Amino acid sequence: MRFLKFRPERHKSDLDDEIAAHLALAAADKQDDGSDPESAQHEARREFGNVALVKDRTREAWGWVWLERLLQDARYALRQMRKSPGFAAAVIGTLALGIAAATTMFTVVDGVLFRPLPYPHASRLVDVNEGSIRTDTGVVPYLDIAAWRKQAHGFEQIAYYNYAGGRRFLGATTAASTEVDALDVSPNLFATLGVSPQIGPGLSAAPETFTGSATSSAIVLSDAAWRTVFDSDPKIIGKTVQINNTPYSVAGVMPRGFAFPFQASPTPQVWIPNQLGKPDEVRNDKTPGYQVIARLRPGVSLSSGLAELSALQKQIAQNYTDADQRAKASRVRIDSYATTLVDSSTAKALYALLAAAMLLWLIACINSTNLLLARAIARQREMAMRGALGAGRWRLTQQLIVESSILSGVAALLGAAIATTLVALFRHELNSHLPFNVPSSISLPVLAALIGLTLVSTMLAASWPAWIAARTPIEPVLRQGGQQSGTSRRHHHLRGGLVIAEIAMSLTLLAACGLMLRTIYALRHVPLGFRTNHIVVADLAIPGYRFSKVNLATNLYTPLLDGVEHLPGVDSAGLMTDVPLSHFFMMQLTMYRGNGQKPVDAFFKAVTPSLQNVFGFHMLAGRYFNAQDTASTPQVAVVNESFAHVFDPTQQDITKVLDKKLMGGERGKPGEGVTIVGVLDDFRQRSVDHAPVPEIDLSLTQLTPKNQFYGDLEGAAMDLVVRAQLPLAQIIPEIRSALRQADPALANSNITTMDQIVEDSYGSQRLAAHLLESFATAALLLCIAGLYGLLAYVVSQRTREMGVRFALGAQRADVIWLILRQAGVLVLAGVALGLALAFATSRFIRSYLYGVNAHDVWTLAAVALVLLVAGAAAAYLPARRAAHVDPVDALRAE
Amino acid sequence: MAPDKIDLLQGTLDLLVLETLRWGPQHGYAITQAIRARSGDVLQVETGSLYPALHRMERQKWIASAWGTTGQNQRAKFYRLTAQGRKQLAHSRGKWETMVSAIAGVLNPQPES
Repeated sequence: MRFLKFRPERHKSDLDDEIAAHLALAAADKQDDGSDPESAQHEARREFGNVALVKDRTREAWGWVWLERLLQDARYALRQMRKSPGFAAAVIGTLALGIAAATTMFTVVDGVLFRPLPYPHASRLVDVNEGSIRTDTGVVPYLDIAAWRKQAHGFEQIAYYNYAGGRRFLGATTAASTEVDALDVSPNLFATLGVSPQIGPGLSAAPETFTGSATSSAIVLSDAAWRTVFDSDPKIIGKTVQINNTPYSVAGVMPRGFAFPFQASPTPQVWIPNQLGKPDEVRNDKTPGYQVIARLRPGVSLSSGLAELSALQKQIAQNYTDADQRAKASRVRIDSYATTLVDSSTAKALYALLAAAMLLWLIACINSTNLLLARAIARQREMAMRGALGAGRWRLTQQLIVESSILSGVAALLGAAIATTLVALFRHELNSHLPFNVPSSISLPVLAALIGLTLVSTMLAASWPAWIAARTPIEPVLRQGGQQSGTSRRHHHLRGGLVIAEIAMSLTLLAACGLMLRTIYALRHVPLGFRTNHIVVADLAIPGYRFSKVNLATNLYTPLLDGVEHLPGVDSAGLMTDVPLSHFFMMQLTMYRGNGQKPVDAFFKAVTPSLQNVFGFHMLAGRYFNAQDTASTPQVAVVNESFAHVFDPTQQDITKVLDKKLMGGERGKPGEGVTIVGVLDDFRQRSVDHAPVPEIDLSLTQLTPKNQFYGDLEGAAMDLVVRAQLPLAQIIPEIRSALRQADPALANSNITTMDQIVEDSYGSQRLAAHLLESFATAALLLCIAGLYGLLAYVVSQRTREMGVRFALGAQRADVIWLILRQAGVLVLAGVALGLALAFATSRFIRSYLYGVNAHDVWTLAAVALVLLVAGAAAAYLPARRAAHVDPVDALRAE
Repeated sequence: MAPDKIDLLQGTLDLLVLETLRWGPQHGYAITQAIRARSGDVLQVETGSLYPALHRMERQKWIASAWGTTGQNQRAKFYRLTAQGRKQLAHSRGKWETMVSAIAGVLNPQPES
């Protein structure tokens, strides 16, 4: 501060000297005219006028007097803060809470929704999809892509890709052991994304042919794959590497940070040029589908790109001979690639939470305005005195703004610190529910938002008190001592209005929170259709290719299951391609049936007969798999109720589906169908709030390498489920050692519990509920503090009045009633307004609710009750204080 | 206050100060005296206007200041005209003369012939 003062000080003394010289010269002149020295000096001074005012005006001409004043105000504000630390702490704490909530949500939203993608001009990258009017297929056959490439002018490049089936392991030798994401991609994928390899030429840009090209064995590695598997070997280009025992030569390594499909923290990936084959030359049910990513030409909008492709698609769809397939390819859908990375319900939830955080911030601002207002009224006398001494209104306003800027500046720092801590604390939970990692630090846009919030906070918190202070007439305040001045009634109305607004907004937050809690409650009480307690799940990382020549069931699964079943304490154990509610792996089967019947889409899973002992599925008809179902007996299937309904919609009796043959004749070898032997009650498959969909289960014991489904169902994914009454700490190491015994590669399998999987499937709803809980609690506390502050102030202002009332014979109960009535008016008005607000805003979270109406009367009633009780509690203390006013003291005090 | 004192028009103070300084560097008191003397005691420059004007014009680089001593051996701050100030003076003077003739035209209209 000292160096800032230096220049003004020097100039000040210079000006002082200059004016002293002026006076001396004038006095000397007067003396020459014959005056005596004393009267000459006096005369010179009189002629000069107000020395201080001249100095002041002259200093204004320097232009930086404002800085001087600002420093003066800042020093004064700091002195004020030291004088009443409780008040400063209350304002800072309130604002910091609001700013922290808003900053936390900004950080999350910024990290998840506005994450920059590692591709240049990523806004022009679009995901293209085909579908019918009702659903998207998500995949497109090659011939359609080729047609778009030829005829669509709005696109620079159209590329396609697919996850390579099964697990892929990459290494320098055949003992490859690092699991990687392997993608079959079109050669122009990297050109479409606009990223070139950091080393190597990359994939050849030669157009695809149906016979395979010379570069068929070339692959591109991600930076992470290059570093972890090949130790950043600089001579990697052209070397031969192994993926699941197939040799490939490395054609490039992508730069660090690049991933496709996008990953926030890149894991090892490899990109293999897709080999087109005979099935790609036609459009039928055996044609492979691809995911499509395209780059729009500069200046081409999403909608004009869509319009062009939609027009083309009308002709393209005519090439489908099958009517059902034609319907499924009749429409095109284009989404910006960035938006496809976050599903829309998550995005909506994040915006809703951001809105909730902003609401909390607004409540905090109102609360601190209220505090500052109370203080401004208490300081009326000081302000009036300063006004009487010549301080301009703007000067007083500036003083108040500086004061609140310092308060909110400190609050912003504190809020940022709290937000950083909160994000760090919640990071794990956030990351498990959101598609991207939440950044651990505050980014630039968030910082900008924070500064903006602080500025607005300051303006909101300062403007009202400042306005009132500036408009306060000086004279009556000085005369009456400020306490009972005529303007205070208006201030009460104002502060009352603020408290009402606060209560209304808190109620809105509480209502949203209540609805989310009801949702969570409803979700937890959805009948899942299977047991979840005492079940441990191990996600087996199977190096499937090592078993490609042998029967996985006999060589790996049976010995593993035997070993686990014989562990002490284990009741039962089973295998399933993917346990319910975990969606790491999902196989969907589309069953085409002849005779003009509609095809059936169903989940397709392989299980062991013992699974029934673990999960205890409820059978509606027939039987589950048993030990008699072996590779040598006819293949059987168990379906769920939904399947039975879709299989024959006209048939109400689901037992009629028993003994029906599936997948016989047409697709598999003739006569070799699968017979339905049992119907399971529907159970939750994907998540608790997704209704059950058709499912077909086959028994693992019947799946030999010769079976048509062996390749699809085995080696891709498998979960080991174990039911045991032992504590987790005891059973998990036992399972792990059993896994290691079965195959060393399985030792790293991820082990969790079924309860945890169920819990995780509540996902974002639980996260939203948690965040809303904390926002709503904070809002409620602020609201109670605001109401309490107002009433306490009112009581302290009316001490004298209470004394008079007591002196005139009022009972304590009357006075308590008086205060409570005043509080009651505020609370009731706030609650009424809040209910209207909650009713209007609940539609924003409607998509997130489950099992509860967005306008649920009980929730709103409960929330209103909570606020009424909180209001009564906040009013009680001031009321009691009013009731215990000693009339003698009160009357003597003035 | 003299009854015949005339309030200076906005902007004319700058012109008068610059014109006064054209005759050589002067300190603040001498400037007020010079303006009063040359206007025949009609124009009285208020110190509350003069000093802010001097400091403002110094910031605008029309004038520059330096400490010196007067004939009576009194230390004082002397202001002198800069090249930029000279240009400003010529400009202000031109404007002033245009205005004077314009006002004169309004007050004494020449009958159209």
